[in-house]
Amino acid sequence: MDKKNLILKKLDEDVRFHEALSACMNCGICTAICPAAEFYKYDPRAICNIVQMGNVDEIEDLLKSDTIWYCGQCMSCKTRCPRGNTPGMLITVLRKVSQELGYFTESEKGRQQFAIEQIVGKNIVNFGYCVHPDIVEPFMHPEQGPVWKWFRKNIESVAPRFGAVYHQEKAGALRKVDDNSIDEIRRIFEVSGGNELFDTIEKFSEQKASEYHQNADHDYLMKVYTDNSGEHSK
Amino acid sequence: MHKRYWNNYQKEIAEDHYFYARSCIRQTFFSGSETAFLKMMTDELGKDIFDDSRQHTCTGIGYHSDIIPLETISTVIARLFSLMTEMGYENFVPSCITSFGILTEITELWHHRPDLLEKTRELLYKATKREFNVPKNIAHPCDIIYKFREDLKKNMKYQLVNKDTGEPLKIVEHIGCHYAKAFPDRGVGGAEFPHVLVGMIESWGGSVIDYPERRHCCGFGFRNYLVQANRGYSLSNSNKKLESMAPYEPDFIVANCPGCTMFLDRWQYTVAEMEGITYDKHGHGIPVLTYEEMAGLLLGYNPWELGLQIHQIQCEPLLDKIGIAYSPEDKYKDAYGKQLFPPQKPNNLIV
Amino acid sequence: MNTFDSIIIGAGPAGLKAADTLANFNRKVLLIDTDAKIGGKLNLWDRLFPDFSSSQELLNQLSKNINNENVTLKLNTNIISIKNNDNHWMATDSNGNTFYATTMIIATGFDVFDAHRKEEYGYGIYKNVITSVDLEKILSGEVSIETPSKVAFIQCVGSRDEKVGNNFCSKNCCICAVKQTIELKEKFPLTDIYCFYMDLRMFGQSYEELYRRSQQDYGVNFVRGRVSEISPTMDNKVVLKAEDTLLSRPLKLTADLVVLMVGMEASKGTKILGNQLNINNTDGFVKSTDRYLSDSETTLKGLFVTGTSKRQMSIPETMNDAVNAAVIVNNFLNTL
Repeated sequence: MDKKNLILKKLDEDVRFHEALSACMNCGICTAICPAAEFYKYDPRAICNIVQMGNVDEIEDLLKSDTIWYCGQCMSCKTRCPRGNTPGMLITVLRKVSQELGYFTESEKGRQQFAIEQIVGKNIVNFGYCVHPDIVEPFMHPEQGPVWKWFRKNIESVAPRFGAVYHQEKAGALRKVDDNSIDEIRRIFEVSGGNELFDTIEKFSEQKASEYHQNADHDYLMKVYTDNSGEHSK
Repeated sequence: MHKRYWNNYQKEIAEDHYFYARSCIRQTFFSGSETAFLKMMTDELGKDIFDDSRQHTCTGIGYHSDIIPLETISTVIARLFSLMTEMGYENFVPSCITSFGILTEITELWHHRPDLLEKTRELLYKATKREFNVPKNIAHPCDIIYKFREDLKKNMKYQLVNKDTGEPLKIVEHIGCHYAKAFPDRGVGGAEFPHVLVGMIESWGGSVIDYPERRHCCGFGFRNYLVQANRGYSLSNSNKKLESMAPYEPDFIVANCPGCTMFLDRWQYTVAEMEGITYDKHGHGIPVLTYEEMAGLLLGYNPWELGLQIHQIQCEPLLDKIGIAYSPEDKYKDAYGKQLFPPQKPNNLIV
Repeated sequence: MNTFDSIIIGAGPAGLKAADTLANFNRKVLLIDTDAKIGGKLNLWDRLFPDFSSSQELLNQLSKNINNENVTLKLNTNIISIKNNDNHWMATDSNGNTFYATTMIIATGFDVFDAHRKEEYGYGIYKNVITSVDLEKILSGEVSIETPSKVAFIQCVGSRDEKVGNNFCSKNCCICAVKQTIELKEKFPLTDIYCFYMDLRMFGQSYEELYRRSQQDYGVNFVRGRVSEISPTMDNKVVLKAEDTLLSRPLKLTADLVVLMVGMEASKGTKILGNQLNINNTDGFVKSTDRYLSDSETTLKGLFVTGTSKRQMSIPETMNDAVNAAVIVNNFLNTL
């Protein structure tokens, strides 16, 4: 199958694609309240229009662009659309296809998927959480402030004060997820395509990293995590 | 003239027997809130709520930052439902707003596409030999507190009232986007005038501020916070909300989403340190509470067991305003009563 | 047994014009309305687009025309059921009175969209958010306001909107807003006016010219973008959020007054009768037998329909349609 048909087929195959966009009349009600449109050069209405027009070259450009990575997934657009569309969900599908075809490494914002996969993805399959105090490192999160530093430093003796069971294998906040549950989560990732997506992100990131004479390792992660050309915000 | 359509959105909230699913963000930053919620349910309301040790993330943060396929998140959720089914429960209560949104979206998808539910059953069975029932009722803990707000009020020692002036406190309520923006009929009061926190505030003596950016996102934006290079988005959007509410001089902010609570707290600190700006007159910032903390304080729970000392914006001015008794010397003690060296003071923000 | 040749339900422009026309054919007509006065929704407007003629003068003329022995007017009468029995049409009111006729004409018209339903626009919550109907009272001088510095008009409130279950275009709001912006500008020449639209549908004679005048002679600003929400400000104004879709940028506008251009839905009466007789479309309006060839007839023999109980129409369209219905009814009566 040629590349053009592949893009359209991949969009069409996703159940969310049809739910997200049926017919758009370009009213801009979504862009009006979009937090990403306020901050970036970003217009969800225009994205709907490009996809609706069906010009595959333009869609391909979109999949390789920073543009699709700006949306913050708040879904405010869904509340208002007078045609029942969800531009935020269309973005989800475009991002999925961009990753599957390796286009995401063509843009600065897209390349960040490697960092998210390494941090959040690995956290899920290793610890059973998206977020956990152990990974909210103060050096990567200066905005968390001195109180967070204090909590992290004293977590073992302070957390029980709030009823948490930090690192313990029993019910409660901050517990250690038992090995059997972690195994089950990993098997779910194996059978449902979760690992495949991780592998895809890693494979294309490895290729991109080699262009910078790097491996897809910590240095590349820190590069994509912090690279900011300054060309994005309006 | 004050005809409000939120009355049309009165969702069904189960009466009793809940399966509790913890939140990655809430347990990380506000574990005292989850503890307080369970305590209210059992000690104040006499409800049956089960906290399973085998539970885990719903992967929602990963899903909304595009590293988790739909099939995977559906099957991970199915495992949570399987635990619920195994323990004999039918009412699922996710502590996280993103989870609540995900569960609503996926159960809705299953409803319209039974083939996808079947596919999920197959995947879960293949991976774990587990089976599951779809919950009868999915409600967020804030829905449950809303439902029983008058019962809780009977046990409350304080009201949302300024003890010196007798005036209701002026409160900003912030609703997490994924509570009702995608499915307005699944949230109390719908998406435009959600009533879930307003109902609590008004029945507990406070008043609600309506300000220009009331419905605006806190700024989390998933990948826009998770990746350091993007945090300008998150900071700018929080800043926009805070600037918009500041002229109304709110006494505090309450949110139903743990992420929003954390961001509105931390970005105030960041702006104070970067720009020297605070959003109140005195340089303390505006306290940001979870609804469990708000309810817990009024019920007379110890603020230091609720975890208010691990907010960056400190709560003492608010406690004094309401007249809540607390012990300053206990603030930085650990669970065993040992006095710890307090956190470093910020340069600009007064703590 | 039939006291009348025809019963017309609804004494708005359609019912009045149909009654007048049938009376000229020397037919006995009973004209019924649930209101205490004739005119229907015409009473809500001060002046009419596109020529600013007085609605009251038109109403006076219509009233004069039905003032003859062939027309019996019954006001304050709420018809709750219509039945056909052996070629008699019977209309029963809420007090249990029944009226008989050989034919029946439904002229129950439209209702103005209830703007409370678009919660995000804050109608009924923020006092400076009003509807196009409320604005008429200001334009007529019945209600007075201080000079506003900025006024925003919002099109398509309750129209072209899946969220409120109205996919249709109400068709008259575009030109009505143009009319109202000009009138407002004449009343308050220093006021800045912004009109938010998706498409401006200037389909009628001299509508486009009026739109052009509003820009050229009155300086009204038209912004292509649908307003997403309205919120209050500290100083009792409101702020609107939209996208200027021609610039591809979100915009905010602070206004002293917002006018919601409310659409036209099938009226409650139209829906009830249409439902009862099973002659309505999914949008609640009554379906004629054939839009091209028999637009006054329904599938029921002797039952006719006219005006905005069928679909959105302007006043002239409504009255022409009513004449058409009266001619068809008269022909029908001739065949008996």
